[in-house]
Amino acid sequence: MKTVFDTGNAAITEAAILAGLKFYSGYPITPATEIAENMSRRLPMAGGYYLQAEDETAAFHMAIGASLGGLRAMTSTSGPGYVLYADPYGWAIGSEIPVVILNAQRVGPVSGITGAPGQGEFYLSRYPTHGGNFETIVLAPDGVKEAFEMTIQAFRLSERFRTPVTILADQLVTDGWEAFQIPQDSYELEALGLPLPKRAVHWGPDFYPRSDDIDIPPVVLGRGTGGACSDWTPTEEGYDTEEIEAQMKHSYRLIYKIRNNRKLIDRSLLTGMEDDPPVVMVSYGSPSRVVRRAVKAARALGIRVGAISLKSLWPFQDDLFDQNRIHLVVELNHDGQLVREVQRASGGRVHFLGRCGELPTVTELLEIVRALFGGGRPRGIKNVREAW
Amino acid sequence: MDGLFQKYLRPKKIPSTACSGCGLGQVHKRVLLAIDGLGLGVQDVIWGTGIGCAGRQTFNAWKGDNFAGTHGRVYALAAGLRMALPKEKKIVLTVGDGDAFGIGLKHLLHCARRNLDMTVIVADNFGYQSTGGQFGLTTPPGAVTDSSPYGLSETGWLGPDLDVLEILKAAGATFLARHLSLDGKPSVDNLKLALLNPGFSLVHFIFPCVTHFGAVSLAERDKPLILSWFKSVFNPAYGQDRGESFQKLKDRINPGFLKLKRGLYHDASGSRPDYSELLKAWTDTFRPDRAAPKEPGRAGSGEGAEP
Repeated sequence: MKTVFDTGNAAITEAAILAGLKFYSGYPITPATEIAENMSRRLPMAGGYYLQAEDETAAFHMAIGASLGGLRAMTSTSGPGYVLYADPYGWAIGSEIPVVILNAQRVGPVSGITGAPGQGEFYLSRYPTHGGNFETIVLAPDGVKEAFEMTIQAFRLSERFRTPVTILADQLVTDGWEAFQIPQDSYELEALGLPLPKRAVHWGPDFYPRSDDIDIPPVVLGRGTGGACSDWTPTEEGYDTEEIEAQMKHSYRLIYKIRNNRKLIDRSLLTGMEDDPPVVMVSYGSPSRVVRRAVKAARALGIRVGAISLKSLWPFQDDLFDQNRIHLVVELNHDGQLVREVQRASGGRVHFLGRCGELPTVTELLEIVRALFGGGRPRGIKNVREAW
Repeated sequence: MDGLFQKYLRPKKIPSTACSGCGLGQVHKRVLLAIDGLGLGVQDVIWGTGIGCAGRQTFNAWKGDNFAGTHGRVYALAAGLRMALPKEKKIVLTVGDGDAFGIGLKHLLHCARRNLDMTVIVADNFGYQSTGGQFGLTTPPGAVTDSSPYGLSETGWLGPDLDVLEILKAAGATFLARHLSLDGKPSVDNLKLALLNPGFSLVHFIFPCVTHFGAVSLAERDKPLILSWFKSVFNPAYGQDRGESFQKLKDRINPGFLKLKRGLYHDASGSRPDYSELLKAWTDTFRPDRAAPKEPGRAGSGEGAEP
């Protein structure tokens, strides 16, 4: 392994190339611009193509087009571009085309604050397009090292499930500088599950099976398979249809290929959960690192508190949450998004600390945890509320 | 025609669900005749479609590989696909006027700018007809439609002083032509040239919509009369002998309003390279040892910056 000190953007670029990326299209946007810059420099060295699109809608569509032709493809953006992904995102979900998307979340709404971390696209990454009848796969790295690993994981999942996968990072993860390791020899590559298997050609005619099976190659154009893919509800052969029964079967596949194989996706890190603590902090991304520090500090003071750091966000890991614990959800927005999901999944008492553009501090978290232990409610502490 | 269908189309999609009297079948047939005339096989063409009458009727009718984009985005899909396909494979897109000149115009212009090898067939029925007949970007001024009940007051992309093909030419398209769906050999010949151009080609086909444009804008249900009106779009003198009933149609919408050139519009085939091929060739010869060093240009650390 070669240890490198660089940004999350650089780590994601290197990981994508190791995963076999051959096509990147994007549109410059802070704080994901450096991925495009790194790609334009590094991808030609790996025999891949960098295309700068006219807008984010085109960027994602181009990535899908390249993937349709058999190239491993990726695009990256931040919130304002992620909403423009809605149209192609739905296309890739419905036509079951693998693409990897990176979203470096910043502060919103709209253009908001460009160079500060936010976590406002938790639900948008679950519903990145209209129409319903689908599940999404979303991973959330908490730093540079994890961004590297998760990029490879995203490509693997995207190919196996033949669906777009979002890596939901934040500005601190993509812009932050940290050490990470790049595998050097075949043994080290193998340890990361690399190289990823080459995409097989689906010869049809049942391009859209009605099962929840994964590891089925997607439609590839240009190989003479007679493959068809579109924005319409497909029959098994890919013809457009208005039959509601075909729609139900297609929806079943889009939802249950992910739900029934979720063991391959689910990922979390539990800290201080061994003695079943009564108070548990829940977070993902860069705040989860502060949260874990706070657990350490609390434990040193003899306070029984634990933490759940979510590494995969969707499908949501309901079984991690327990009605008998008090949950404190820490996230980088003031409206509270993850907290709603935790409340639904736990059915118990849930509190919320919202920050935006900056991380909470360990001292602050300790103060709230102490208040929760005192049987009180953390009223009067800035930005802390009970969940609704 | 049966032979052509059997050779190139899927029986499941024939006949199409187009309205009786629709000109889309004619456009579709011209494209197949051109493909056949060039001796191309099912494997040589990847067929993409857009949204609306033109897209839905032709999606997955091609016996080979097919794809359909969301409204206006099929050009961006095709741009990405172009990077993955060898240059021998041709991309044909059949789209409507709203798809190409409305929602998708930006993507279309950027494909023209990059001169990406694809042949776009815009089948133009003067508006949004599959949604029930609203005015579009090529609807004649003054036309009564479901969304311009008092007559269209807005200027579109077609008119005496304005032509969307001029915009595409300025954007860098290397082959442009315009026809009526009823045009025979001349349109097939131009389609062949379009397919042979190793760059961005677009053929604009105006075709009659009898159900909405005919019935509402021309207030006429007689199909031969509607066809005659469409013939007089390029030739205002056409149908003089058809008497009062035809004059009534001409009074509703003056077919000479377009003053459009019929046939070949712009042919600069092969005059500049297809960007996808340039990029592929450049990548093939890329030498990492010549790669730019990493550090320059990083914000705040540029050369010559004040200490």
